Amino acid sequence: MKTLRLLRRRRALLNCAPFSHDQLADRSMRSAVSRADSSDEFVNQRNFDRAVAALVCLVPIPAESAEWFSEQDLVVGSKWTWKKMVWNPAVLAISIAVVVIAGVFVFQLLGRLNDFPGSATARKLLAVAASTRPVMLDPVSTEAGTLSDLFFMKHGLEHYDVPSEFADFRTIGCRVFDDEESRRIAQIWLGEKRMQLFLFPADRNMKTGAVLHFPGWRYIHQEGWVGAVTERSGVCFMAALRGGEKDLEPYITKSKE
Amino acid sequence: MLGDSRKAQEVFHTTLREAAQRAAQGELPKEPFWLFRDARWRCLEATKTDIQPESREIDEHEVDPGAASQIEQLDPAQLAVWISSAPDPQRTALALFYLDEFDYTEILDIAELKLSALSRCLAKGRRQLQAWLDAKHPEQPKL
Repeated sequence: MKTLRLLRRRRALLNCAPFSHDQLADRSMRSAVSRADSSDEFVNQRNFDRAVAALVCLVPIPAESAEWFSEQDLVVGSKWTWKKMVWNPAVLAISIAVVVIAGVFVFQLLGRLNDFPGSATARKLLAVAASTRPVMLDPVSTEAGTLSDLFFMKHGLEHYDVPSEFADFRTIGCRVFDDEESRRIAQIWLGEKRMQLFLFPADRNMKTGAVLHFPGWRYIHQEGWVGAVTERSGVCFMAALRGGEKDLEPYITKSKE
Repeated sequence: MLGDSRKAQEVFHTTLREAAQRAAQGELPKEPFWLFRDARWRCLEATKTDIQPESREIDEHEVDPGAASQIEQLDPAQLAVWISSAPDPQRTALALFYLDEFDYTEILDIAELKLSALSRCLAKGRRQLQAWLDAKHPEQPKL
């Protein structure tokens, strides 16, 4: 049954076989023609078709219509313009995607520009500051500068010194805890503008273990909080409060003076 | 397709004019060969009101090895009239096939035919044309 169908299809293809070889683009047609190429019947058919086609070529075409088939282009392609190209949906979609990607890239780049060794930890600690309540800390009412001894004596934390800019402020409480990387963090709550101070180990070079220093004060921001960070003797200090840079600046500039 | 140069010219210009209008309105169809399909329908429309040939059995002869020489004696206009007088879809099949511009898949697309139907039209057309040639220019008996 299948063979019969195949034979019928081959016969049908041969009836439609082109008489010029350059049109044998179809595989099934090529196969049918190659099988029948030498048969008398097929040769007769091709000669017949070629003769008819040659005569068809001689059928006169009215002069007015023949003009259309001159060498010149029938239709001049529409002019390419920037405006047209910009409104092309594909170009528009790609442009929007590129702008969004560029925006994200610039945003990331600007964020990275303010990065410094320990900025990642400082950001995490800003989140800690935002979620800390005074009851979570041990109540200590003293000057912030004096807590260095407490950290050293009680917790064995060396160089956890509060910089002179913040040393004179009265404290409400303090605590020492480990972060998720088991680093010892000291947190101090001040009465001054409900400011919080953090002391934590500075980042180190992964290969050499050397402390990654950075000069002066660096600001970081997160969710309405601002932190001013500095590094001394391998320990980072951060003063954090809710607000902007201008709220912290007076304390830093005061020390510079 | 029409066997009448005046009508053919009219259809040709109408088809192109409509195509230009559609292009100007940005409504050109996406599928290939729509222009040829359009032209074909216009040709069929143009001949709808013409006097139709009587529907009777036309003689059919198997294609002769010496048919080429018989065809050479034909006038091109006569052949055009013969093809145009064939009933559709045979007329479309013969016209498109002997134009030698399209392969068979393209003809199937333009004429909206199946392979078996196109094959039948062409085979029948050849046999009928051979019979007509035999009647018009009988082959010289070989000595």
